[in-house]
Amino acid sequence: MENLMAALKAQIVEQLNLQEVKPEEIGDDQPLFKDGLGLDSIDALEIIVLLQQQYGIRIANPEQGPEIFYSVRTIAEFITAHQTSK
Amino acid sequence: MNIYIQGTGCVSPQETAQGGAFPENVLPWEGARLKASEPDYKQWIDVKLIRRMSRVIKMGVAAAQLSLQEAGIQQPDAIITGTAYGCLDDTGVFLSKMINQQEEMLTPTAFIQSTHNTVAGQIALMLGCHGYNNTFVHKGFSFESALLDALMILKEGRSKSILTGAMDELTNHSFNILSRFDLYKKESVTPASLLHSQTHGTVAGEGAACFVLGTEKGTNTKAKLTGVTTLYKPAGKAEIAADIAAFLAAHNCSEDEVSLVISGRNGDASGDEWYEHMENNALAGKPVACFKQLCGEYPTAASFGMWLGAKVIAEQRVAEAALFRGTTPTEIKKVLIYNHYKQTHHSLILLTAC
Repeated sequence: MENLMAALKAQIVEQLNLQEVKPEEIGDDQPLFKDGLGLDSIDALEIIVLLQQQYGIRIANPEQGPEIFYSVRTIAEFITAHQTSK
Repeated sequence: MNIYIQGTGCVSPQETAQGGAFPENVLPWEGARLKASEPDYKQWIDVKLIRRMSRVIKMGVAAAQLSLQEAGIQQPDAIITGTAYGCLDDTGVFLSKMINQQEEMLTPTAFIQSTHNTVAGQIALMLGCHGYNNTFVHKGFSFESALLDALMILKEGRSKSILTGAMDELTNHSFNILSRFDLYKKESVTPASLLHSQTHGTVAGEGAACFVLGTEKGTNTKAKLTGVTTLYKPAGKAEIAADIAAFLAAHNCSEDEVSLVISGRNGDASGDEWYEHMENNALAGKPVACFKQLCGEYPTAASFGMWLGAKVIAEQRVAEAALFRGTTPTEIKKVLIYNHYKQTHHSLILLTAC
């Protein structure tokens, strides 16, 4: 889980071109959107593509989005759960 | 009705983005490509927005902000831009991904930022400007078309102030493609030698120049935009001479009244013949300034020429780096800018001191 979260942070920084943010500065439980890291809806689309490209995961139910993308930890848990159920 | 240039802003291969006076020193360049000297964009753009912007968007936004600052205007009534290439870099990114990923899993950012009107749209979003917003994509007439649109709207009384300008970027990919069209010089040239090279080809450039045009004179207003016209594929040099005379007459300006000619000479022997003819006939004996040794050639380079003209009038001097022929007149009242792009798209812009 720790390795997955570290990889996710690096991938998010690269994919979203977060020039002022270092991967290690993103907290595991820090909210990614709004008042947290300040991401927006376009970033959400970028993260969806990232999950498809890097982990082969498609978000089947868009209503799950806010829950899955809340923090790096929730994304990592979603990826782990998806990989386990395969 | 007078149309005033209330503010100007420019990002170019020279240090023009600092605002204020025309830069004293020419930034050296060599080879066939001039790259923009980019400022620290964080002074105008939030870092959260910068991360999604390609160079042309940042250059355009910076030039727009500089012109608004100089004009002392926070929000114009309309935003009108011209660009020939649009957001070329993001277009390349998006199309490359389409090919490499077999049209699957394409990310939205490059697509959103790849349209030609992205710059005007981004400026409007940042300013919260919900007024008229338009972008003209007409190759070598893109800037002039934006100017004409702004002039007509102002003269119709539909707006009091309009942010207008032009921007084009050069990417590695576009430079390679344009080089294959044999547009650029093979031999090495410098700012000092380009205009005297007498050989085929020119140097590639890029940049953004914006102007706040208004119906009222602002606190920093030094010049009026008296007129602009375009001439597509003129039959010959004699036709241009007649068009210049007609253009000046239409704006109640005699040839004697023109204090300075700014010509779009770019060092290409064949293209420069048009300017040579104008300088020796229609406007013989006039001092001539040039600008493409400073910004390079690109379809909207006339916007840099107009920016230079506005600076010349504001400062009442011609920088040594720009003066090509003659001496600076003691008083600069009217400046005529004559430019053509690849000998097909010719334009005339007349500025008047106020």
